[in-house]
Amino acid sequence: MRLRPLHLPILLFLLLAACSDGPDTAGLKIYRHSLGGTPTSLDPVQSATVYANHVVVNVYDTLYAYKYLARPYELKPNLAEAMPEVSDDGLVYTIRIKRGVHFIDDPCFPGGKGREVTAADFVYSMKRHFDPKSRSQGSWLWAGKIKGMEAWKRAGADYGKEVEGLRALDRYTIRILLTRPCPQLVHTLAQGFSAIVPREAVEHYGREFSVHPVGSGPFRLQTFDSVRAVLVRNEKYRREPIDLAYEGYDPKVHDPYGIAGIQGRIPPLVDRLEIHFVKESLSRWNSFTKGDEIQFATIPRELLDEVLLKKQPEVVLKARYARNYFYTSGLENGFVHTDFNMKDPGIGYHPDPEREKRNHALRCAIRYAFDWAERNRTFYNDMGQVFPGIIPPVVPEYDPQAPKDSITHDPEKARKLLAEAGWTAENLPELTYGGVASVSSRQMFEQFRGWLTRIGYPKEKILFDSYASFGDYNKAVKQAKIMIVGMGWGLDYPDAENTLQLFYGPNGSPGSNASNFDDPEYNRLYELSSVMQPSPERTAIYRKMNRIVQDACVTISGLSRRYILLWHRNVVSFPDQSIVGGFHLKYVDVLPGRDGE
Amino acid sequence: MKPAKERTSLWAKAWYKFRRDRIGMASLGVVLVYLLVALGVWLGLWGQGWSQVDGPMWAPPGPDYWLGTNIIGQDIFERAIYSTRTAFEVGLVVAVLSTLLGGLLGALAGYFSNRWADELILWLMGVLDAIPFFLFVAALAYALQGNPYAMHIAMIATFWTTTARLVRGEVIKLKNFEFVEAARAIGLPRRLIIFRHILPNTFHILLVQATIVFVGAIKSEVILSFLGLGVTDGVSWGLMIAESTQEVQAGHFSNFVTASTFLFVLVMAFNMFSDALQDALDPRKVST
Repeated sequence: MRLRPLHLPILLFLLLAACSDGPDTAGLKIYRHSLGGTPTSLDPVQSATVYANHVVVNVYDTLYAYKYLARPYELKPNLAEAMPEVSDDGLVYTIRIKRGVHFIDDPCFPGGKGREVTAADFVYSMKRHFDPKSRSQGSWLWAGKIKGMEAWKRAGADYGKEVEGLRALDRYTIRILLTRPCPQLVHTLAQGFSAIVPREAVEHYGREFSVHPVGSGPFRLQTFDSVRAVLVRNEKYRREPIDLAYEGYDPKVHDPYGIAGIQGRIPPLVDRLEIHFVKESLSRWNSFTKGDEIQFATIPRELLDEVLLKKQPEVVLKARYARNYFYTSGLENGFVHTDFNMKDPGIGYHPDPEREKRNHALRCAIRYAFDWAERNRTFYNDMGQVFPGIIPPVVPEYDPQAPKDSITHDPEKARKLLAEAGWTAENLPELTYGGVASVSSRQMFEQFRGWLTRIGYPKEKILFDSYASFGDYNKAVKQAKIMIVGMGWGLDYPDAENTLQLFYGPNGSPGSNASNFDDPEYNRLYELSSVMQPSPERTAIYRKMNRIVQDACVTISGLSRRYILLWHRNVVSFPDQSIVGGFHLKYVDVLPGRDGE
Repeated sequence: MKPAKERTSLWAKAWYKFRRDRIGMASLGVVLVYLLVALGVWLGLWGQGWSQVDGPMWAPPGPDYWLGTNIIGQDIFERAIYSTRTAFEVGLVVAVLSTLLGGLLGALAGYFSNRWADELILWLMGVLDAIPFFLFVAALAYALQGNPYAMHIAMIATFWTTTARLVRGEVIKLKNFEFVEAARAIGLPRRLIIFRHILPNTFHILLVQATIVFVGAIKSEVILSFLGLGVTDGVSWGLMIAESTQEVQAGHFSNFVTASTFLFVLVMAFNMFSDALQDALDPRKVST
């Protein structure tokens, strides 16, 4: 076929049509969110990243959720009718779920009509975590805690067989029997991991289920690829008006953002939710500031001086940015730390007690060589908060008076420790520092190496162990292959137990304990405290555990980064990247008017 | 200096011609300065402080740090100097090995043209040339994860094919010359005919080709390091440019300008040197 002049306008039209959101978006209220990474799976059992969680909690239901605005965070019933009834010994949880909640219509159901969500669906969804075929990444949350679950798994994970500790008493009542009290159980039932899936969809879609969610959440997924997820309103979502007072509304904090306007309305408030996955922070920023693309972003590190008028003690935007955007800032619900792999005899546990003592001195020396102030200045814009140990400032158990010796930069002391333990340039072991093959990761390594050379460590004995992607790196960490492990941890729930479990022996690789620290006293205290309700006694035990980790020099920790979140002024939102995570998206509203004005 | 017409060998004529090429001589001088810098780094005379993090963050150029410092306080001048060594290391290793491989396989393909050995080598060259270079390097880097020479191996595996094609053509021409027929007539084994009589006559091609590969390797190293597939230990101009992508947005240009200038001057000089060498060694031009 020859190209005729008439064809050109048609081609141009088609080209332009391909660039737009498509005719189906006309007149719809659209909110375009953005995230710095792409989910690899939308199957709740594999939703281990904050990116996956943002989609999962919006297309599926969880029994509980966090109140939209309340800080400190507060739990609330979501699909559950009320907070659970807990027996006096803390071992029996009875939860009733709401009636008349339906899954979305989908070909996996008979006649394509979504059926009602029942207690049996929750039981099935939880069992999947212990079915080896599901390759769950969240089973650690409940491992050893639900009565009979391990035995069910060992017996071949047959869904036809009942688990003593997890039963649907009737169509709407769930009963959970625990092996020991677990004060964090309700928090775990607000995680994307515990989202409720229908068995029909899992069996119908097989492997495709990871990209074809069928849930009962406020949205349903329309398209999903590595660039964005498009969610549209679930018309069948239950009609529950927003009660701002219940959600933790504080006029002093929330009034400026126009949140009062959503009182009494029924979520979700937008017709179409787009979550754009943009890894490059500058690209995200450019898209955000363009005005008619993404409506939520963070400030790239390189542009902080350009955008901010003041960084400390509170963040203030320059006038031209404050005019266009709302913003909020705070310390992250988590921290970054650098662990020593205790399974590596070069630096950790060793069959020879004498060598183990020398390894301890070596680890402590490296920790004293580490300059947190410098790290904060170069990589976190001097906005992070450095704290000693593994209990970050955002949790109530944080101790502002804790001794600061483990975060003190003292090269002289480091040199002394090395000399006392008999370490010399000749006999010091070769160190490998793991990281992904990115500029920041390499620079963090080079800075680390620079500090160590100052205490007499030969440069050629400090090597960078680089991995093509974070996935590859994480895999190597899970296999305990890396000697010095740089990690970040985002709290799953606002309780220091969630960070203390990072050093609990039985959670060693491939679990969350990347350092493979295994100290009997620490383990004993962890087991003791993990069944205790919040109390001064429990806090005292937490702090004692924090001290054990510091004394063992098993980690160089830590720093909580400060986040700054920005959104367009025509968007009514109070965003949260972590604990409330994707839960807030159903409350986001977009006002008429040009984006970014 | 004796006039050119009194000289007889191709090399002597070429040298005479090359020396008359001012641009060629100037570019050779620049290349030699870089070589000197690289040798100094090898010998530990300078550029040894490239990894130290003693300076302030993003210090401007000044007496302490001639070209300023990067985000972690490393001296940009020291890093640029040390990167010269990296460039020469990569350039030399890749140029020498890929030229040897290309020369050897090209000579074999040319001597046994239209026979199975030739077909096999041509097929191999066709396959390698058909794979996009950066995809090939990425795949190889992944396959050889942790191997610091993954980049070198990938470059050698792809750069030899051009040399081999050129040498093959030359050998097909040479093998019908009388001196080769004479060698065959007196019963010399093929091995000696190829390597003692034919291959030395392709040296002018190999030399020019080596300089072209040298420049290609340096440029590729910079691109690969920028993409995170290149240098794994040490520093290179590519890594410096990769670092600078975050810095230029914050208004710090020293890393970018320094690495780009060092790279630009060397690549330009080597290209001009290569051109001059090609002119000097071209038998059609040398004899005139």
